Amino acid sequence: MNTDHEFFLMQFSDSFFPSGMFSLSNGLESLVKRQVVKNDKDVLNFIEQQIEFQIVPCDCMIFLAAFDAVRNKNVEELVQADKRFYSMRLIKEARNSSVRSGSQILNCAIQMALDKDDNKIAKQFQKLISSNHTPGTYPACLGIITSIFGIPPESGIRIMLYSFSQSIVGAAIRLGVIEHIAGQKTLSSLSIKINDISKNIKKQPLDNLWQLTPLTDIFQMMHEYDNSKMFIT
Amino acid sequence: MLSKNKKIPKVGIGGPVGSGKSRLIERVVPVLIEKGYRCCIISNDVISKEDAERMQRVLATELKVMPENMIIGIATGGCPHTAIREDPTINLAVIDEIEKKDPTLDLIIIESGGDNVMTTFSPSLADYFIYIIDVAGGDKYPRKGGLGIESSDLLVINKIDLAPHVGADLAVMERDAKKIRKEKPFVFVNCQTGEGINLVAENIIRSILFDKEPIVKKDRIV
Repeated sequence: MNTDHEFFLMQFSDSFFPSGMFSLSNGLESLVKRQVVKNDKDVLNFIEQQIEFQIVPCDCMIFLAAFDAVRNKNVEELVQADKRFYSMRLIKEARNSSVRSGSQILNCAIQMALDKDDNKIAKQFQKLISSNHTPGTYPACLGIITSIFGIPPESGIRIMLYSFSQSIVGAAIRLGVIEHIAGQKTLSSLSIKINDISKNIKKQPLDNLWQLTPLTDIFQMMHEYDNSKMFIT
Repeated sequence: MLSKNKKIPKVGIGGPVGSGKSRLIERVVPVLIEKGYRCCIISNDVISKEDAERMQRVLATELKVMPENMIIGIATGGCPHTAIREDPTINLAVIDEIEKKDPTLDLIIIESGGDNVMTTFSPSLADYFIYIIDVAGGDKYPRKGGLGIESSDLLVINKIDLAPHVGADLAVMERDAKKIRKEKPFVFVNCQTGEGINLVAENIIRSILFDKEPIVKKDRIV
């Protein structure tokens, strides 16, 4: 079994990797503030719901589309997936955060991967972001990065789901809803679900994308108008 | 020296909570603008955008020296040092947006959220680093050191008018600042009265703008 990619898998899923994730709660802050999320069970439930109804049917599909587009050296496919995701992010804060995070992780990876063949398409995509031809969202850029660094798609999905879960747990700890041991227990209890999704997920056509998290969406909209907040979303 | 790919020079301002970071910006920016330099401000705040909103009120609404959309607030999720050093992603993304929107700006000022004495800026984020402390913290402050006090390009010691009220000896602070910073500059200021502010502006113009003329002449500023 080739495990050469595992180092990069760890590097990209590490909270030290500069993705800006530490500044996002993805709606959790608003839910905590309004006492919808109160304890570790609520945090776990929130993560699972977001994974099932947002990340897997939408973010992961964009990731897989971008991943394949790099393999096929098809920039047009990349742009289509990127634009589709941007159009589906209804919350302004979430949309902006995704774009800011995406363009920056792409830039970081391009600097890291100067000698890699697929870097050409990444640079091409970066130019399209700079010229406002495409937004450069997080899942599209993560798909490009993992493809460049030879990480298998199922591992890339694991990075995406783990990074999301870890950022929510980190936010929950900083918001004081859970303590650090409960945080690790929450993460480990997600391992079966995340591994299962990673192994069985199948790419879907862009027209089949969907998402349904109305409660979180509404609370994120309220978050945009909060005067005092720790997190961007 | 400005690093590769940087278009607009950037000044980072860090310091403890309540040391006067926002007030320093409110004082320095009008001086720079008066000299014709056009600025944009990014204000990182731990739990709100209050500092950014106050600067918008002072600089845009009251003083009318710059447009409100040139003062941008970022909430940093309780990690002010992370947002300016370990993971400056969000700040860099906002800078990209600013540079795209107005490449003719002379300067971008990035204010950190209030933090401890080990604050430093990522070299990819700030070309020049100002660290501000205040006299009310005691005259031991410069002596105690820390990365901010020791390694910043300019140390600003604020609220000098409070020295007699808190038993702080400015001569001690001066002696210790010289000792710990060696050749690096420091200035005493009073952001309330404006005392010493011109020195801060001069340091910025000399050290990061290299005394160059503003990109856009003053009479063209909107």
